[in-house]
Amino acid sequence: MVKVVTDSCSDITPQLAQELGITVVPLYVQFGNETYRDNVDLTTEGFYHELKESKIHPTTATATPADFAELFTKLAEETKEILTITLSEKFSATYAAALQGKTMVKKDCRIEVIDSKAGAGAQMLLVISAAKMAQSGANLDQIVDWVWRALPRVHIRMSFDTLEYLRRGGRIGKAQTFLGSLLKVNPVVGIKSGATFPIARPRNRAQAMDFLVNFVKGFSDIEAVAIEDATTPDDLQTLAERLKDVVPPERIYRSKVSPVIGTHVGPHVLAVAVLEYV
Amino acid sequence: MKTDLADGQTLKEMFASGTAWLEKCAADINAINVFPVPDGDTGTNMLLTMQFALEEAKLNSDNHVSSVAKSLAHGALMGARGNSGVILSQFFRGLAKGLEGKTHFDGGDFARALAGASQTAYKGIVNPVEGTILTVLKDASKAAQEAVKNDDTLVSVLEEAVKSAKVSVARTPSLLPVLKEAGVVDAGGQGLYVLLDGALQFLKGESQKIQYRRPRLVVAETELVSRAAHMPSRLETPYGYCTNFVLEGQNLNLGKIEKDLKKKGQSLIITGDDTLVRVHIHSFEPSEILRYATRSGKLHEITINNMDDQYAEFIKMQRERMPSVDIAMVTVATGDGFFELLNSLGNIIIVPGGQTMNPSVRELLQAVESAPSDNVIILPNNKNIVSAASQVRSLTSKKVKVVPTRNIPQGIAAFLAFGFDMNLEKNAQAMEKAISKLRAIEVTRAVRGTRLGGLEIKKGQFIALLNDEDLIARADKVGDVVLEALGKAGAEKAEIVTIYYGAEIKDVEAQEIAQDIRDRYHTEVEVVYGGQPHYGCIISLE
Repeated sequence: MVKVVTDSCSDITPQLAQELGITVVPLYVQFGNETYRDNVDLTTEGFYHELKESKIHPTTATATPADFAELFTKLAEETKEILTITLSEKFSATYAAALQGKTMVKKDCRIEVIDSKAGAGAQMLLVISAAKMAQSGANLDQIVDWVWRALPRVHIRMSFDTLEYLRRGGRIGKAQTFLGSLLKVNPVVGIKSGATFPIARPRNRAQAMDFLVNFVKGFSDIEAVAIEDATTPDDLQTLAERLKDVVPPERIYRSKVSPVIGTHVGPHVLAVAVLEYV
Repeated sequence: MKTDLADGQTLKEMFASGTAWLEKCAADINAINVFPVPDGDTGTNMLLTMQFALEEAKLNSDNHVSSVAKSLAHGALMGARGNSGVILSQFFRGLAKGLEGKTHFDGGDFARALAGASQTAYKGIVNPVEGTILTVLKDASKAAQEAVKNDDTLVSVLEEAVKSAKVSVARTPSLLPVLKEAGVVDAGGQGLYVLLDGALQFLKGESQKIQYRRPRLVVAETELVSRAAHMPSRLETPYGYCTNFVLEGQNLNLGKIEKDLKKKGQSLIITGDDTLVRVHIHSFEPSEILRYATRSGKLHEITINNMDDQYAEFIKMQRERMPSVDIAMVTVATGDGFFELLNSLGNIIIVPGGQTMNPSVRELLQAVESAPSDNVIILPNNKNIVSAASQVRSLTSKKVKVVPTRNIPQGIAAFLAFGFDMNLEKNAQAMEKAISKLRAIEVTRAVRGTRLGGLEIKKGQFIALLNDEDLIARADKVGDVVLEALGKAGAEKAEIVTIYYGAEIKDVEAQEIAQDIRDRYHTEVEVVYGGQPHYGCIISLE
């Protein structure tokens, strides 16, 4: 059976990962000299607690080629085919690390590495579908083919109270056009061609929520939806309620942004990803 | 210990190196030229002035620094072009005075000469303005004098001067509002910094680097919102002719010439001595200036440039440099607060105007033509401007959509609804949808007593109009009329109320009104300075 690997920026919950046989490679969060494995040593709740308590602003670090090599070598004992779907290479060197890790594997095993050109929920939805295909017996070529066709059909929108975290982390991309507004706005940002892209400027959080709901309503053929928050579970609950009539609840995956993503988006992010039928 | 006494040859080579460095970025300096006249020639003018200065110095085979400095000064005076060129010539004049009688010079001499150059430059300008090349020169000279106390070698003195010049250039927008508004640093100051930096590279033995690199232009220290876009649409008063010449005569009275010419034009700079005077002046009647000057002596190096043509060229250049976008926006607004607000929301060309001064079709057309895209959306923000905006469509080859915004809150809502992932049609639709949900209240004073909408109104009372049509409230105090009008417009159901307060209202007053609204209607209220005339408050309900 094909083994599916992803990085912790897919925000996939440990329960779901286990259920679907997905292996998650953690990125790293650093508070000064302390290094934590993303979503392993540090959960989203723990992270935002630490963020509030710690005087040091955290930084993030990619998973290393050795991390991937070690994992691939271990998995190669049980499978001949591995698919890895990573965070966009425009955000992180994790994709490059996975490719390098692949060259370090000495076992006889086919390893494919694909850049999701996205992250968070969008990456999650690709990984979930790929893992389900693997479970139902698809081979590596079939899954890879599906992922390539799915890439343009997965979309993500994130609403922010402030773009300060994105700016500080250097991941703001074209959305920098939203900086410097003299009017209070709750910007909505998407990911296009692997990079942050400005989408819309609702005036407040309620309007931003409307925007996210309408965004999902705009699709006719939805395979799955992922919704995420960081520190605002009530808002996530509201969002889930409002999407109930748009998408069957069993096709809505709920999660929290990982500490690594959290470092770059801040505590008030609300994200929605949509995967269309491929 | 004096280890590096430099001679005339060194001075020559320093400025040759500086000029080579300047040449590499003259075009970039032209592009940021907005003061005193945005004619886009500062870089070229400084370069030409320097070339004249060097030419003259080359002809001088004397190696005494005093003699070389004099040649540089004379050459610069004869060749000076434009404001910045003339100031540069004064710089060399001051430098020559400071180095007079010396065969060699060190850092201390150079620092003193710089101080003299700074003083001479200030003296030559009738109305010196800070945030220009003058400020940069002054700061550089101060730093040089400080540096001498620690280390009086030429290279370390110049190094400190260059460092300080760089900081000074970055600061120019905070001293000169026109720079801040245009989002640029001062062009002349930039040029001087580059010139000194090039000279420093020669002293450090790094001249060969110049061949392969380009000067990195100093950017403003404060984050500037790019707003080059709204300049082209402003129809300013004409600039007239930039008139330059050298007057040669005997017993010329510099003070009298200055006094006489001051009455005949603007941006007067005058420099020289009793036999040779360089004049730079902006005037609508250059012939009158020349006639006056010929009475005192012979004229050389006469150049007269039509600055309006230069401005048109400059606009063209700016347009070419503007980043092209898929869809450009043009809007109409009045009030400095609204200008800043709109610019903070993104690239938009603002045509000044509104209720009391509707822009002409021609002004709107110009704005559309100068927009950095072939797809343009116009937000007229007034019902009387909608038809003029619609006429633009038939006058341009560009694809133009008019979203009929009737007031400025609608215009802002439409601008915010701009979707970066949507085409022209979809965007126009999204904007129309956004404005359909918005209500706007405008508060102004009644210009005469009347009866309207069943209300008795006294002259001078505050009145509130809903959606530019219905009179819904009147009161003696602005706060009262706002509260009443919001009640009638359904404020308790609004998600967000935004108050744009005008030029006549104080910030604290607006904040108090906002608090009253929160207390009474339990809604989110944001207060923003609009700076509009006539309307005390413009309020949007979303």
